[in-house]
Amino acid sequence: MTTTPETLHYAVSLVGKDRTGIVAGVTSVLFRLGCNIADSSCTMLAGEFAMILIVSHPRPFSKSRLSEELKPVCDQLGMSVGVRTLHLDEVVRQETKDEICMISVYGADQPGIVYKVTSELAELGVNITDLNTKLIGTPDEPVYVMMLEAALPEGQTPEKLESLLGDLKQKLNVEIGVRVITPVAL
Amino acid sequence: MSIQNVLRYPHPLLKKVSHQVEVVDSAIQNLIIDLLDTMRAGPGSVGIAAPQIGVTLRVCVVDVSANRHGKENNHGQLCMINPEIINRSGNAIMREGCMSVPDYTGDVERATEISVRYSDSEGVEHEIATSGFEAVAIQHEIDHLDGILFLDRVVSLKTGLFRRKNYS
Repeated sequence: MTTTPETLHYAVSLVGKDRTGIVAGVTSVLFRLGCNIADSSCTMLAGEFAMILIVSHPRPFSKSRLSEELKPVCDQLGMSVGVRTLHLDEVVRQETKDEICMISVYGADQPGIVYKVTSELAELGVNITDLNTKLIGTPDEPVYVMMLEAALPEGQTPEKLESLLGDLKQKLNVEIGVRVITPVAL
Repeated sequence: MSIQNVLRYPHPLLKKVSHQVEVVDSAIQNLIIDLLDTMRAGPGSVGIAAPQIGVTLRVCVVDVSANRHGKENNHGQLCMINPEIINRSGNAIMREGCMSVPDYTGDVERATEISVRYSDSEGVEHEIATSGFEAVAIQHEIDHLDGILFLDRVVSLKTGLFRRKNYS
């Protein structure tokens, strides 16, 4: 990612009813404006399509310009849009030497699964890098599935973490598993 | 012989199919030393293929013995000339990274057990059966000899679980 003082960065988030042409519509505006898309993540959640983009543009440029230009196409596509200016020191490539884990949590749906699990993780200094949840099962027996990717703090191991989450697992009556997914360097 | 610069994508040589080695001579032996030196210099690297240092010959080295995934099950330092996978079975997904594609990782499906035929640095032919991480590393390196990067094999960027629309 280019991180010179001459470059402005924005976090752009858009959500709307899924249909074909959303990505093309949004990115056509960005392309016309001369914006670069750095990191992005777009996915379908239920019937909604959600986009999160880190966008850069050389100076001079402004957040209001970006918002104004995105508005017509977003109105047409039925998307809500949010734009936030990033400061230069926020735009860093995240490099980590930490152990990366997949934490899977699943069980009968109930209020507070996400909150209770993530609070515990925050307390243990575990940094969530990716989180997906999905309601599956049947209307009679809804099952909640949460998949977290997280960086463990130094000294923490997947085995220790899994046992530390043991109490919560019993309390919520859900399955909680922790396994290493740290990439292998080849 | 020395540590060589590791080419990074989009260097065009990384997408080329490498040539068979016809004769194992001192030039090939020197290439192997360069590969070993360069692999040892890469942080945590367990293998490297000749095209990664700009030589499009079917030569690669692998050593997973110091890696936590491979230390229980390995053949030590493997120097492979014209390696060929003659048998493969099973499959498992592992998140891979590559010195030639920095700052990116992806989940790749590989065979869990393979048999490989190759010649060593003396030109002697071997056939080994291997499994686990060593098998993954060998498949990754042989891919380089065919101009294939792990990016060509990524099955999911994050959790594949959520890509399916329903589970029935």
